[in-house]
Amino acid sequence: MILYTIMPEHLVFQAAAEEYEKQTTVYYDGIPFLVQKAETGEYEIVRNLSTNPLHFLEQKYAPGTRFPMSVATRNEFLLHSWYNK
Amino acid sequence: MEKESYISEEKQETKEEQAASAIQQLGQTNVPQMTPDTNIHCLTIVGQIEGHIQLPPQNKTTKYEHVIPQIVAIEQNQNIEGLLVILNTVGGDVEAGLAIAEMLASLSKPTVSIVLGGGHSIGVPIAVSCDYSFITETATMTIHPIRLTGLVIGVPQTFEYLDKMQERVVRFVTKHSKITEEKFKELMFSKGNLTRDIGTNVVGPDAVRYGLIDEVGGVSKAMDKLRELIELNKSGERKMIQ
Repeated sequence: MILYTIMPEHLVFQAAAEEYEKQTTVYYDGIPFLVQKAETGEYEIVRNLSTNPLHFLEQKYAPGTRFPMSVATRNEFLLHSWYNK
Repeated sequence: MEKESYISEEKQETKEEQAASAIQQLGQTNVPQMTPDTNIHCLTIVGQIEGHIQLPPQNKTTKYEHVIPQIVAIEQNQNIEGLLVILNTVGGDVEAGLAIAEMLASLSKPTVSIVLGGGHSIGVPIAVSCDYSFITETATMTIHPIRLTGLVIGVPQTFEYLDKMQERVVRFVTKHSKITEEKFKELMFSKGNLTRDIGTNVVGPDAVRYGLIDEVGGVSKAMDKLRELIELNKSGERKMIQ
């Protein structure tokens, strides 16, 4: 089937809602990461969103590396005591 | 004693395991570990600039809700003295792109941008928003009129709204670069350069010739310029204090 349309592709063939849930942004060691859930119950790094170039040299922040979900936080302040007061 | 040796052996084993899994996952070995301390940060604007509609995960996008807080953090952090903006984008949402460009233009710290593969469409205002801009020899920038993807203009008001939006882009680019409004609009509305479309695809050296970008160069030139601007900024601050 060939569909000729002036509508953009993402409007004609909309992705399923669960597609969006696969990836999420979390903070790990205070660094933002785009992650996806692995079958092992860990997060797998898809993209490092840091602006610090040195964070890209660290092995444990490289794409493909996994870290436990428990160490990830929703924002960078959750590790600080003043935030949880 | 026996127990201790057992522990260290175990540690060694897990280390080897980690290295093995890293090789399996990405085919790469350990990179040198450095202290996280740098005075230059870099912001990458890659893929599509995502606007108010979230694109499916298979699209590579730059999200403004990520980038804008990062620019705020860079402005606030006293250890950061300069920002390098790396562009390789196809363009995207006009409002989101202009928001990022305005944030970069109003940053008090020295900024240098470098267009690597392409800085198309709304990537142009982002590239020119920095204090100094570079483009590589092979990189290109597409300049074209603003359009709504796929949607048909129904009423004259929609056209006027689009025209105003375009005017904002033109004004921003002419204000932050050396290109004249006439030249920019000429490139924007020229025919025959893009197959069956209006606009121009400007290649590296041409972008410099038109005054859109400051210089042709790669990452080393960009870093040198950024260091120079940081030094200038520091000496300026010192004078202010005196």
